[in-house]
Amino acid sequence: MSNRPVSSRYTDVVALVILLALVPAIAAHTPYYLRIATLAVVYMGWTVGFNLIFGHTKQLFLCLGALAGSAAYVTAVLSQQLQLSPWITIPIGVAAATGLGVLFSYVSVLRGLGVIFLGIVTLAFSLIFQNMVLGLRQFTNGETGLVTRDLGFPLLDHPVAAYYLFIAVLALALLVYCFVMDSRMGFAFRALSDDELTAELSGIDVTACKIVAAALGSTVFGLFGTLYGLYNGIVSPSLFSFVNVDIPVLISLLLGGMRTRLGPIVGAALFAVIEEFVRPFGQLSVLVYGVLLIVLFVAFREGLVVMLRKAFGFSQFRELFRSSG
Amino acid sequence: MIVQVESIYVSYGAAQVLRDVSLEARAGEAVAVIGPNGAGKTTLLRALIGMLRPTRGRIFYDGQVRNGLRAFETARLGMVYVPAEKELFPGMTVFENLELGSYCNVRDIPERLTYVFDLFPRLEERRHQLAGTLSGGEQQMVAIGRALMGYPKVLLLDEPSTGLAPKMVAELYRQLAKLKTAGLTLIVAEQQVPLVLSLTDRAYVLEQGAIRLSGKSADVRGNPEIKAAYLGVT
Amino acid sequence: MTATLLDGIVQGLQLSLLAVGITLIFGLGGVLNLAHGQFAVVGGVAAKLLLNLGVHPVLAGIGGVIGAGLFGLLVDRSLLLPAYRYRGEERLLLGLILTLGLSFVIDGYLNYAFSEFSLTLLLPIPLVQIAGIPMRTAGLTTSAIALVVFLALFVFLRWTLLGKTIRSIIENEVGAELCGIDPARTRTIIVGLAAMMAGLAGIAQGLFSSLGTEMGPEFTILGLLVAVVGGVRSLNGTLVAGVFLGIVNAFASRYIGAYVAFIILLSVAMATILLRPTGLLARFT
Repeated sequence: MSNRPVSSRYTDVVALVILLALVPAIAAHTPYYLRIATLAVVYMGWTVGFNLIFGHTKQLFLCLGALAGSAAYVTAVLSQQLQLSPWITIPIGVAAATGLGVLFSYVSVLRGLGVIFLGIVTLAFSLIFQNMVLGLRQFTNGETGLVTRDLGFPLLDHPVAAYYLFIAVLALALLVYCFVMDSRMGFAFRALSDDELTAELSGIDVTACKIVAAALGSTVFGLFGTLYGLYNGIVSPSLFSFVNVDIPVLISLLLGGMRTRLGPIVGAALFAVIEEFVRPFGQLSVLVYGVLLIVLFVAFREGLVVMLRKAFGFSQFRELFRSSG
Repeated sequence: MIVQVESIYVSYGAAQVLRDVSLEARAGEAVAVIGPNGAGKTTLLRALIGMLRPTRGRIFYDGQVRNGLRAFETARLGMVYVPAEKELFPGMTVFENLELGSYCNVRDIPERLTYVFDLFPRLEERRHQLAGTLSGGEQQMVAIGRALMGYPKVLLLDEPSTGLAPKMVAELYRQLAKLKTAGLTLIVAEQQVPLVLSLTDRAYVLEQGAIRLSGKSADVRGNPEIKAAYLGVT
Repeated sequence: MTATLLDGIVQGLQLSLLAVGITLIFGLGGVLNLAHGQFAVVGGVAAKLLLNLGVHPVLAGIGGVIGAGLFGLLVDRSLLLPAYRYRGEERLLLGLILTLGLSFVIDGYLNYAFSEFSLTLLLPIPLVQIAGIPMRTAGLTTSAIALVVFLALFVFLRWTLLGKTIRSIIENEVGAELCGIDPARTRTIIVGLAAMMAGLAGIAQGLFSSLGTEMGPEFTILGLLVAVVGGVRSLNGTLVAGVFLGIVNAFASRYIGAYVAFIILLSVAMATILLRPTGLLARFT
């Protein structure tokens, strides 16, 4: 696996970036579609993060929206209250998300909490986040939301430039992912997702792996969260709710394929398309997501990427949809 | 022939644990399965009861093929398994544990309880105690007593002497002999070779997943290789 | 202050009623039901539909409870089958995701089909004086119902054969199977029973204040917290935890404020889970 030259190992990422970069050429004149594309990139980023947290290290964090939202709100509130530059507030916001993610991971590994407890604790945190935003009205403006229009980079006010910024961040996230998966840590992740006990017995520090995965994943959530909050012009609790973040990310990861490189991307892109079709149905869209979740987890657990890889045996396709584990 | 195992193969995932194993027991007979740790004795009993399914071969019980049955179905047909782990209900009383044993064949529970308490008087003293608080030997008695509550025709015992003091083991085997005289078919997997060979009519020696030797218990006991391998050590 | 305490106990009993179903389903099936709150809403919706048909309120309530129960049975025999094919943590994870999906299916459908739904049941006498403290009859009624249900449950589990069978499966599923017990069939019965109790809790909410179709997720998380704090395998623990958290919530709401109270509740629950993962009442192994 490590015999291939470095350049070919990242062809798929480069190809993807080029593909995504071409989108404004088609969509630049329709602000609606460009916005949808930008949002899709945000979700792609989040799904890459969740791939690390859940796909590789099986930590069921049900507080994804809260992680992203914590970063976004910390940044927005600090920028507004203390008039600090985004170059300062954004890292602080992201650090908040990272800190939370590491905390949950550390405590759960330390106490040997299984899937269920971590899921419940993070779900509880999801609610705590929502209630804190609503309760700290004097800072967060409660349900109406906080306007972020003048708080961020002027860059984010230009739709096309913003889009490219997000692409750049996504590319960065993907490269970090590839780098990690190609390293010894990545090898440990693969062993871990196969069989935790065996991995532990082979001398792999399962605790460290899980915490690192949680740290990286949460950082990704925080980064995309803050930038999204600034791009959106306004942050509100519903923007980062369980239904708006956790569910799409979970479905996207399952759709595209856990533990693969491009799975999160493909999944999120597909989800964006599905969402457009389902949106006019209002509440029924939630029903569709529920059905999707069930069907995916029962029947198509491996995700699209793996299915496509099996269907098309061609070597080029194999390269394009290469798995990381 | 109440129990007949015909050339079964059993594997745990990729590992082949039993290879071409055959065994039979007539009604009222006591049969021993001996062999070193890891030989596959527990696997054999589990396959019999239905906790594991053989990949090849057939298991006959009462004249019919019973490969696909689940453990609870086999229990209801009269073949009951007492595993080495006992699998009691720790938060429930001795009385409740025994009562549940009659689930597979609810009939004259009070009479059956008297029978079990006669066999194991210690249990009657402790009838309202939580099973989790009993000593190893007492738990073993509950496990066997529970198995007897449903009027079983065949009793599968996995290493019943484990963790018991020698006096208790002797007492236990005395009771097992009583059960045998009453007409119960016994299949006993054991580490304590001399004891089980004196209880049973026939024996099978299982090593590394295959039957190495089988025959009348007395003959097996007299076999020089067996003497050296098992009777010298125990 | 006593008023707050009593209020807390009333609320707590409601929480326990909601949570006991989760404890049962987890203890017997090894599945954490994330759609439990939705079972409660289904019960309320069924009751309201019967009310609209002119059925007497008490009968409508009973109908709602049975409706929720039947729904639970259906779910166990269909949706949860893939989960039961596995054991342990695999089953848990699959069950979690499946019931999560189910919760969205139910939520989505109910919010769409019954968007203006509300179940409000009024009692003829709204207030009653107990030892000089005015108490809402609704609260007393729901508490009485919850206590009766718990008592019936305890009696059922302790004295009947089916009850002991259920306890045995919770204690040791393998051991139960060796006794000739079919865990799958008992499980289905229990899921039905658990769903009935959730339905009852939903209808009780209609009695206590009012029930809306959007309350599903809130019920689920509250039920989960109480169940986990009490120890997911302990029914006594569920009762104790419910009352405990109910009192915490009542005092926090009264003396601090609604939002912060909820945060305190969640934090207390989280802290208990982290400090005592096996639950408030430790059990024998």
